[in-house]
Amino acid sequence: MAINLQNIQWKLHLDEATVGDHHDWFKVFGTWIPGSPEVFVDVADYSHVTNGPIIFLSGHNEAYTLDNTTGRLGLLYERRQPVETENPETLKASLKTTLTHAAWIEADATFKVKPKFFAGDVKFIVNNRAIAPNNDETLAALKPELTALFDAVYGAGNYTLEREQDARQRFSVYVKTKAPVSVAEALAKLG
Amino acid sequence: MSAKKELYTSDAAKIWKERLSDKLPAEWRVNVDEFESDIALKKLGKIDHKLFAETRLRMGAYGQRYDNGHRYDGKEVRPIDFPEAFKGPDTYWDAPGMERIKLPWGGLNPEQMELFADLAEEYSDGICHVTTRQAIQLHYIHIENCPSMFRRLGALNITTREACGNAVRNVSADPMAGISPTEAFDVTPYAQALFEFLLGHPDAQDFGRKFKIALSGDKAGASGLVNIHDLGLIATIKDGKRGFEYYVGGGLGAVPYAAKLYSDFVPEDEILPLAQAICRIYGRFGEKKKRHRARIKFLIADMGWEKFKETVAAERAILPHDERWSSYIKDIKKFDEQPATKPGKPLLATGDREYDFWVKTNVKAQKQEGYSAVLITLPLGDATSNQMRALADIARKYGPGTVRTVVEQNLILRWVSNDDVAAVYQELKKIGLALPGAESILDVTACPGTDTCKLGVSSSRGLAGELRKRLYAKGPDIADAARALRIKISGCFNSCSHHHIADIGFYGISRNVGGYVVPHFQLTLGGQFENNGGAFGIGTGGIPSKAVPAVVERLTEQFVANRQENEKFREWVERTGKATIMQGLQELIAVPAYDADKSYYVDWGDVREYSVKDKGIGECAGEVVTLTDFGLKAADRELFDAQLKFEKGDAASAGVMAYRAMVLAAQGLLKEKHPYISEEPELVMETFTKDFHDTGLFHDPYAGPKFYQYYQQAHAHKGEGLDKERIALFLHESQLFVEAAHSCYARMSLTAKKDETEEAAA
Repeated sequence: MAINLQNIQWKLHLDEATVGDHHDWFKVFGTWIPGSPEVFVDVADYSHVTNGPIIFLSGHNEAYTLDNTTGRLGLLYERRQPVETENPETLKASLKTTLTHAAWIEADATFKVKPKFFAGDVKFIVNNRAIAPNNDETLAALKPELTALFDAVYGAGNYTLEREQDARQRFSVYVKTKAPVSVAEALAKLG
Repeated sequence: MSAKKELYTSDAAKIWKERLSDKLPAEWRVNVDEFESDIALKKLGKIDHKLFAETRLRMGAYGQRYDNGHRYDGKEVRPIDFPEAFKGPDTYWDAPGMERIKLPWGGLNPEQMELFADLAEEYSDGICHVTTRQAIQLHYIHIENCPSMFRRLGALNITTREACGNAVRNVSADPMAGISPTEAFDVTPYAQALFEFLLGHPDAQDFGRKFKIALSGDKAGASGLVNIHDLGLIATIKDGKRGFEYYVGGGLGAVPYAAKLYSDFVPEDEILPLAQAICRIYGRFGEKKKRHRARIKFLIADMGWEKFKETVAAERAILPHDERWSSYIKDIKKFDEQPATKPGKPLLATGDREYDFWVKTNVKAQKQEGYSAVLITLPLGDATSNQMRALADIARKYGPGTVRTVVEQNLILRWVSNDDVAAVYQELKKIGLALPGAESILDVTACPGTDTCKLGVSSSRGLAGELRKRLYAKGPDIADAARALRIKISGCFNSCSHHHIADIGFYGISRNVGGYVVPHFQLTLGGQFENNGGAFGIGTGGIPSKAVPAVVERLTEQFVANRQENEKFREWVERTGKATIMQGLQELIAVPAYDADKSYYVDWGDVREYSVKDKGIGECAGEVVTLTDFGLKAADRELFDAQLKFEKGDAASAGVMAYRAMVLAAQGLLKEKHPYISEEPELVMETFTKDFHDTGLFHDPYAGPKFYQYYQQAHAHKGEGLDKERIALFLHESQLFVEAAHSCYARMSLTAKKDETEEAAA
C-alpha cells in the first residue's frame, strides 16, 4: 500500500530538568508570530491539563506545542496543511524544520532555564487515521522511507525503531539512538 | 492550489465519505453532502460571504478570535498573512475556527468519547472542551475538515446541525435525569423528543436569533436551569399524569430575563405542538434586523405577556396534526438505563482526608439505592484526548457506559456501584482527574473569553485558571459556607459562563486608567444557581483583573465571618448592602500607576501588554484626569447608588437614578468636545446622537448601536412609570450603557495616542 504522507508530526523529547517556566515558552512562541512565513495565529496556554499540550502555538500551515502527552515533555511539530513533496523529501524537510525550531529555542535568551533537547529521542506521528491506520501494514509501507532518513541522521544500526502498539492511538514510531545526539549534530547530518 | 493539494484534500475526505456515508441517518447524510457542496461553491465564489457564514454556523462551525486577520501583539495590531479568501464577512477562509458539537441532554457513550478524542487530535489541538450548554467544542479547526468530521460524528449518532446560528440550539437537561432522588420523573426522553422534532423543522428555520431549550426534573435544584432559557420545562405530575410546568422567554445575555410561566401543567403529549406553535410565533413576529432585540424575551416584552400567550394559543389551535407529537411516548422506556454492576453498601468516611473530601464534593447518591453518580471535574472544562479515552474505559468498566456533560463544564459518570467508588477514584487519579470540588467555589466556570472568542474583552480563562490554582491550594481548609459558593467568569457581557446566576460573577470590561487601557471585570453578586437559576446578581463595581483573586478572598472571608446562622450568600449581600461590601474592597481595587506596577496592564494568562504603551508622552499614570474621566466616574457613582436604592426597596428612585447615570455618562463623553455642555437631558440626548451615534463612534465593534438604543429607550421613559421587574432590567441596561461609555472612551484615547505618535514621528 502506498501512503502519501500528510499531517505529520514530530515530537522531539526534552531533558525534563530543563523545561523551566512554561510562561517563558508562551513568551517565546509569541515572538514567532509577527511576520512569520508559517502564518502563525495565536498562543494558547493549556498548563491546567494533565499530560497534554502545555503551550500551543497555533498556525495555519504548522503548529508547535510544548507538549507533555504521555507524560514526556517535548517540542511537538505538526504540519496542518497538505504538502506537495514526495515522502522522503517531506520527512527530511519536516524533521529539519522541527530541529531548526528546537535550535532557536535552545538559543533563546528569554528562557531562564535553557531547554535542552534529545535529538536522538523522537516520536514520529501521522496525524491522520484515514490515510495511516495504526497497524503493521502502515509500518511496512513507511519503514523503508523512515529507515532511510534515520540512517542518514543517526547512522545505520545506531538506533531502535518501535511502532506504538495501542490500536486507539495514531500511527506513531518511537526512535531512540544508543548514544545521545544533540540538535546541532542532527541538523548537520540533515545538511 | 496545486493538483496534489486538491487530490490530498479529497483523498482524506473521500476515505471517510466512502467508509461512513451509509452509517449516517439519511437526512443527516444529505445535510453533510450539501455542506460539502457549499464549501466547494464558496471556493468558486458562487455563494456570498454572509450566506455562507450562516450556513456554516448552522453546522456549528464558528469563527474564532483573529479570524479577521489581525492580532494585537502587545505593541501594535499586526496583520496575519492569510490568503485572500473568506468564509464570512471579514473572516478569512484559512483562519482556524471553532466547531461546536451539540449533545442533546449532554448524553455521551464510550464510543463517542473515543471519537471526540480522535477528532481533537486530528483536527484540533488535542483538547475537548465541555461548554456551559452541555456541548463539546473543538478549536483551531480548518473549515475544509468539517465534512469528514461531521461524517465521523454522524456515524455515531451525533449531529452538529443547528449547533450555532439562528436556530434551536442544543436541548439541554439535568445531567442527573433518571437518577436524581428529587426529580418528578426522567426528562431524558422528552429532551430527546424535542431535539428530534425541532431539528431542521420548517417552523424553526426563520428566527432572528438563537433559541435555547432546557428541561429539569425538579424545581428546587439547579437542575436544567430552566429560568434562563428561551423555552424551559420542569417535570411535574398532576392527577397521576406526567406533564411539565412550561416556561418561555428566559435568557441571560447582556440583560438577564427570567423565564415566565406559560402554564403550570402541559401534558406530555402537548409539549411538542406547543413548542412548535411558539417557534412559529417567534419566527413570524420576532425581530429580524436588530439582532440585540431579536431573542424571544424581547418579543414577549414588546408584544406583552398576555397577548403573546393568546397568539401562541391561537396558533396552537390551527396547527395541522402531526403524529410525532405523541408517537415518541411509547418509546420512553428505551431511555431507562440499567446498571452493569451490583448495588454497593453506603459510602462511609474512610479517614483518608483527600479521598473523603473528593467523595463529599464529587459523588452524588442516586435515587437507585447502592449507586452513585461521580462528577469528574475538568479544569476549565478541558479534557485531553488521552483522558477522554481513559474516561471511556472507566465508564465501560464501572457502569453501563452512560456519561453526561454538565453545564458547569464537567462530566458525570452514572451508575457507579458504591462499592466501586474508591476504585474509580484511583483510576481518575492516574489520569489527573480525581480533582475534588465539583459544584463548589473551587470549580470556577469560564467561557473561552479572549483565548479564542471574538467577543472577549478580558481573559476569563486566564483569571479562572489563576483562581483555581489559589483556591485548590486551600482545598479542604476552605470553610463550608464559602466552599458552597459558585464563581462564574465571562469574557464579556454576554454571560456565556452564566455569571448572572453565580454567587460571585464576573464579566470582562476595560477601563481607561491614566491613558492606558486596563483589563477589568465587572463584579456581580448574589446570583442564584439553585431554583433553576432562580435569581440574577447585580453589577457591583469594576475590579482590575489582577485584583480579582484578592477580592474573591476578601469577599469570602467577610461572608464567612459576618454571615448569620444558615444565611445564604445572596441574603448576606442583601443584608450587608453593596456599599458596605464595596467599601471593604476599596484598598484592593486601586490600579497602580503604569510605571509603578506594569503587571496590572497585562491580563491573566497572557504576556502581552493589554494596551498600547504611551510612547511619546510618558506621563505618570493618574496625572491625566479629564472632564470625561470625571463624568464617567459620576455615572458609575450614580448607578451604584441607584442599585442601592433598588436593594432597599425604592425601585422608583432607582429607575430615575439609573437614567441619570446614563445622562452623566453621555455627558461625560461629550465633554471631550463640548467641555461646557449642561446636564439638560434633551440637549445631551440630541448632541450625543449627533456626535456619537450618527458618526458610529459610540457603536460597539460587535454589538453595534445596541447600547445607544438602551439610552434612546431610557430617554423616552426617563426611568419613570416602570414596574419593579422592568426597573431591575433597566438597571442592567444602564450598567451596560455606562460600561459602553468607558469602552468608547478607551477607544477614543487609543486613537488620540496613535495620532499623537504619528504626528511626533512626522
